[in-house]
Amino acid sequence: MSLAEPAGRGRRPWSGALAIGATLLGMQVLLAVAGPFLAPYGATEMGAGPPLAGPSLAHPFGIDQLGRDVFSRVLHGGHVVLGLALSGTALGVAIGAVIGLLSGQAGGLADEIVQRGLEIFISVPFLVLALVAMVAVGPVASGHPLTVVGVVALIYAPRVARIARAAAREIALRDFVLVARLRGDGPLRRMWSEILPNARSVLLVEFALRASYAPILVGSLGFLGFGLRPPTPEWGLMIAENRALLLVSPWTVLGPGLALAVLVVGLNLFTDGLARRLGRHVDFGVG
Amino acid sequence: MWISGSAEMDGPAPAPLVVIDRLSVDYRTALGWDRVLHTVSLEIRPGETLGLVGESGSGKSTLGLQCLGWRRGLRRQAAALRVAGADLDRLDTAGLRRLRGRRIGFVPQNPTTALDPAWRVGDLIAEAVEVHGVARGAAARDRTARLLARVGLARPGVAQSFPHQLSGGQQQRVCIALALACDPDLVVLDEPTTGLDVTTQAQIVALLARLKAERLMAMLYITHDLGVIAALADRVAVMYAGHLAEVGDTVAVIGAPAHPYTRGLIASAPRIDGPPPGAAPLTGTLRRLALPPGCPFAPRCDHAAPGCAETAQRLAPAPQGSPGHRVACMRAAALAGDGDGRPAAARLRTEPSTFRDPVLTVSGLSVAYRPPGLLARRAVPVVRGAAFTIAAGEVLALVGESGSGKSTLARALIGLVPRAGGTVLLGREPLAPGDRARSPAQRRRLQYVFQNPDASLNPAATVGASLTRAARAAGRTGADLVAEALAAVQIDPGQAGRYPDELSGGQRQRVALARALIAEPDLILCDEILSALDVSVQAGVLALLARIRAERGLALLFITHDLAVVRGFADRVLVLFAGTIVQEAAAAALFAGARHPYAAALIAAAPRLVPAARPAPQPEPPPPPAPPAAAAGACVYLARCPHRRSVCGESPPPARPLPGGGMLRCHIPVDELAREAPDSRDGPGEARH
Repeated sequence: MSLAEPAGRGRRPWSGALAIGATLLGMQVLLAVAGPFLAPYGATEMGAGPPLAGPSLAHPFGIDQLGRDVFSRVLHGGHVVLGLALSGTALGVAIGAVIGLLSGQAGGLADEIVQRGLEIFISVPFLVLALVAMVAVGPVASGHPLTVVGVVALIYAPRVARIARAAAREIALRDFVLVARLRGDGPLRRMWSEILPNARSVLLVEFALRASYAPILVGSLGFLGFGLRPPTPEWGLMIAENRALLLVSPWTVLGPGLALAVLVVGLNLFTDGLARRLGRHVDFGVG
Repeated sequence: MWISGSAEMDGPAPAPLVVIDRLSVDYRTALGWDRVLHTVSLEIRPGETLGLVGESGSGKSTLGLQCLGWRRGLRRQAAALRVAGADLDRLDTAGLRRLRGRRIGFVPQNPTTALDPAWRVGDLIAEAVEVHGVARGAAARDRTARLLARVGLARPGVAQSFPHQLSGGQQQRVCIALALACDPDLVVLDEPTTGLDVTTQAQIVALLARLKAERLMAMLYITHDLGVIAALADRVAVMYAGHLAEVGDTVAVIGAPAHPYTRGLIASAPRIDGPPPGAAPLTGTLRRLALPPGCPFAPRCDHAAPGCAETAQRLAPAPQGSPGHRVACMRAAALAGDGDGRPAAARLRTEPSTFRDPVLTVSGLSVAYRPPGLLARRAVPVVRGAAFTIAAGEVLALVGESGSGKSTLARALIGLVPRAGGTVLLGREPLAPGDRARSPAQRRRLQYVFQNPDASLNPAATVGASLTRAARAAGRTGADLVAEALAAVQIDPGQAGRYPDELSGGQRQRVALARALIAEPDLILCDEILSALDVSVQAGVLALLARIRAERGLALLFITHDLAVVRGFADRVLVLFAGTIVQEAAAAALFAGARHPYAAALIAAAPRLVPAARPAPQPEPPPPPAPPAAAAGACVYLARCPHRRSVCGESPPPARPLPGGGMLRCHIPVDELAREAPDSRDGPGEARH
């Protein structure tokens, strides 16, 4: 019998970070939704002021090379970054979960082959992988938002699959999965109704941790020119457009950079706290 | 060497070694303090063995740990808590540490987790000796060797072994050696044989009886197994929900239990030495959150009077009791002498009727495991040429020790383990070796219930969802199916929305049974389904199975290592040793007639409830030369058989038919074995049969 009750399931020291993260993230979501309506200028509206003018009360992040208000563009771009990051992560986690859970459940040779295949994907630096994917889909489709979502998913899915597979390996050996097999449930049904519900918390933690890095990924793609096309007010792309003028007009880079930083810090604090909370109920099945 | 307690023994009335006076303990929970021990008073004299029994949650482990002065995460009130003259309630941590290990030893339930896997067992024991300053260096080594020899591990090389290189029984011997390392006055043993199989358990109990006779050492033996208590304890204390229900000499308490709970506990225990003496087993379960202010047992008691639940019960001398026999039941005097006042428990076994239609026909079934790795060596046979039938409505027991291949045989039948040879017929149609090749109808007709319901129920699915999935797979639909299935296993259909962790262990196993029953099978393979359950819960599940079997004409293959259950429940028995069926017999015939030497050893090893018939501790027989079953042409039991002859090593024994049906695989003629069969150790219980 248990001697001492586990210490109360109360709040942990990290819950402060969770609160700060939730606040920052809440602000970002709010701005992403309301930003386009609050912005004083349009996303592509030129002539907002003299090009490369520094920050002022009317233009807090200054004016870019083409005379567009950077602050307005940042507000217009919020939902783009957030939407791409979250949907890319969701797609990646979903695909990775299905591959990993099925592979882990199957075990044996099939599992080995799938795992080696995933390792090949993981061993390629993700920006190179993204470049290859963009080249593969061709010049027309490469700037489409759905392609960016697909690339984020492509980068995440193998990594998520490994975690899901580890969880499934342990769950699949438990008797209730055998019970399902004995009554004739196929691998897909076993995955859906027996294994997935028990791997849920592992996958939620995985989603949270991956989501916090996704805006950087989307931003990097934009910065390198593999992402959305100008004049979309995506933050990474805006940094790329203005970086040549960094010395002349640092504000035009700093604005979107600051927005991206706040989003990433907020997401990190929030998901880290969330993962710790969920993680306490997660059985990672080691040994 | 420091001889314990010799000074105290000189006087006529030795001072008690352990004094526990009005001890109450609360644990901290999310909801506040939860009282687990209620003003318990108890004494243990030097050299005495006190057996502490009760169901899970009765507080017996807590009481055991209090004898070591444990105080983390709890709140304690006690008028006295003294062991060997030391006041455990006042002692500081350093003082407690000096006492533990040196004067109070502890043997935990699970030796596998109790021994540090990174240490050689010899170093582990030597460290315990050195830490307490009993001996150092070479003297400590020497003492370690003597300790290991004393617990029956004299074989050279054991001290250099790591725990994982030893068997479960050997690990428990090491734990006992550790507890004895510094010649303690008291050893607390917390269910030390619960995880072991029957044969090993009997060896450990014999070892403890021998140690007890050799040296003056008090033991507090915590268990839920009354058979072990009967074999070992001088006195018994029965606990219920943190209250002491009854305490007294073992013979008095087991022979003439005064508390209704003790009676129920004794009646619930499956007995190898005869049917229960006219008492009814316990009903219901211990609900620690809904205890009445008075007698905690009142909600489950058949003799409860109106005042019982409100009146606090005090320990008082038992009516017609021997000196020192005390009971906490205000109705004890009224109940004394009326036997039990209730009709005897219905016999679980249906009387020998003729079972005709075979549900399952197994012939020549073999299973072999191929060791993992690419350079696979020869496959190791696990089941060799098993052949038997199960008839509709019949309970066939499959008994044998751990590793005998019982579960592997069952898993080969259900199709989870590939066969190496042989055929299996379900009804008249052949059953494919692998489960994937079987038809939905075959899956429905043959069901499997696993040992541990914690693992066999999906923790993320409600009871209702688990049952619905099983019903759908069996092609059954209907709104009331789940409710009916739950009602059939005596669970309130309102519980369908609960998750498994919201149910008790017994309820979970009944849900697992309901999941098998909802498919309306012809045969259920029950793989040690009782071993994870408490005695009182076991009795309930067995009674339930017997009723369902009678109502539905269901056949069961009942795998167990507990022969006492077999005696009361099974129609026929298969005895499995090292993958070979060494005997097949009607259950009654197995206990009364000719037996294979291995079956005889299994029956002899089962604990009995007759304290008077306790055999004197005997020196341990030399361990059998390992490994068993060496030559292919020999009897599998050769290495351990006390009756072995020269022919046994030369050819595999023939399957001889038994007079009343069944067979026995032995070179010794049946009538010769029959003469030895009901041997004297079976006690008076046999005569009644």
